[in-house]
Amino acid sequence: MEEANVPTGVSIHTGFPNPAADSSLHGLDLHKLLVQHSASTYLFRVRGNEWENAGVFDGDIAIVDRALDPRRSDVVLWWDENRGEFAITLYTKMPPQAACWGVVTASIHEFRKITHNQGRGSKRGQ
Amino acid sequence: MANNVYALIDCNNFFVSCERLFRPDLEGKPVVVLSSNDGCVVARSNEAKRLGIPMGAPAFKWREVFRRERVTTFSGNFGIYGDVSKRITSLLTTVTPRIEIYSVDESFLDISSLELTDYAAWGRAVRASVLKHVGVPVSIGVAPSKTLAKLASEIGKTQERYDGVFSFFGLSEEERHTALNSVPVGDVWGVGWRLAPRLKAEGVSTAWALSQLRPQYAQSLMGIHGRQLVSELNGTACHGLTREHASAKSIMRSRTFGEDTQEAHILESAIASMAARAAYQLRHEQLLARRIGFFTNTNRHKPGYRRWAPEIALHQPTNDTGLITTLLVEELGKIFNRSQKYHRLGVFLYDLIPENALQTDVFGLVDTAGHDRSAARMQALDVINAKHGKGKIYYAAERLGTAWQPKHQIRSPEYLTNWDELPEARLR
Repeated sequence: MEEANVPTGVSIHTGFPNPAADSSLHGLDLHKLLVQHSASTYLFRVRGNEWENAGVFDGDIAIVDRALDPRRSDVVLWWDENRGEFAITLYTKMPPQAACWGVVTASIHEFRKITHNQGRGSKRGQ
Repeated sequence: MANNVYALIDCNNFFVSCERLFRPDLEGKPVVVLSSNDGCVVARSNEAKRLGIPMGAPAFKWREVFRRERVTTFSGNFGIYGDVSKRITSLLTTVTPRIEIYSVDESFLDISSLELTDYAAWGRAVRASVLKHVGVPVSIGVAPSKTLAKLASEIGKTQERYDGVFSFFGLSEEERHTALNSVPVGDVWGVGWRLAPRLKAEGVSTAWALSQLRPQYAQSLMGIHGRQLVSELNGTACHGLTREHASAKSIMRSRTFGEDTQEAHILESAIASMAARAAYQLRHEQLLARRIGFFTNTNRHKPGYRRWAPEIALHQPTNDTGLITTLLVEELGKIFNRSQKYHRLGVFLYDLIPENALQTDVFGLVDTAGHDRSAARMQALDVINAKHGKGKIYYAAERLGTAWQPKHQIRSPEYLTNWDELPEARLR
């Protein structure tokens, strides 16, 4: 690559630009898409068949962000004291006395089980 | 020089708070976390503290209280605690990059350069943010020195009206006096259990009394450290942030056996396994040990308690798992007695020097060729273990017996570190 010196002392590249230098050309990062706030995002395994019409299946992974304030149209995760379990519902269907634990931002459905096979190996790696 | 402003962010009953994150039903109920071998209490909820359960209490002595008072007990789940700790650090780093991670549940921030007028209000906002985002409660202390910041967080935590946040800025002289007077001298950071009785004998029983000592007198009592303590308590910082933690001065790995043992091969196996972990840490920090040793003891709570702690000075500093294991197992042979019931064993490596110090050994006392061979072998071992999972390759002695391995009967799932153990949520 050639450089042309200009009086201000700034150097200008005259060769073909290095595509990697442009941050907008970095590969797509799924983590960036799915996790807006890494400090406040937690993963849950969803249970139950109630949501199959909505495309959420037993065993899917719910991505839950605690940083977000729930809006009317949101899906939320909350602790059900009566049944002693976490529940996922539309925000509008959450009982008024319950406290929202986090907003469900996405679910992951694996057609071929990926996470199952990783199992304990993912923990050992470090 | 600009005025110093330090904040200490301290997680309340951290391990308990982490367990409650996925067990909201345990809010307001007594909870304790036990050390990984279920030996003793390492964290208590406020409710458990009120039951009089002391820190470090041996679990077997308190089992009846746990049952009667419905105390929920967990084995330490350090995967969760480490992950939650990292989340808090990453959140705090967005406040300021000037952070010192002091321990798994405490961080100092240097907030001198933030243009703030009301530090208590700032603290309340940070506290609310950590609680909302990560989900665990913290106490925050703000002050012109680290010692005072630590003290402030303690006041914030223990005195209910401050609701977790206390600042030494903007106080009247009288308020400052009251605050310092409320803290026993033994709770001042850097005083500890050894100095506290000596100070009390001098009539110094609170942080306030300590702050009023003449610097020379404090120095005569406690050395230069005492003089600095008095300065720090009066708002003059003597200690800045420690950005990188200094290398360890010694490394120890120890475990209590699942059940007491009289078998030599179980002790050998424990030595090998503890040596492997300690030596790994040594290599990770690029250090070599000049002295190595191990200790083992019978159960302290049973009659005839005995303890042995042989050690060896090495002519050739090392971080070689195989060499350390061989030497220590030899030492074990000298003290082992089949009639003893061994309860606990630990391997320690100390008198540590940087690995590269060997290259500057001007006296030629060191067998550098031998060291290079050993280094190559250890590097191969670490690379394979890093690639294929910890413990893929190990010295045969490590697996002679597994009875020493910790019991984890009541460990919570690995919610944050294992895909197979994610917390569950029911679709409604």
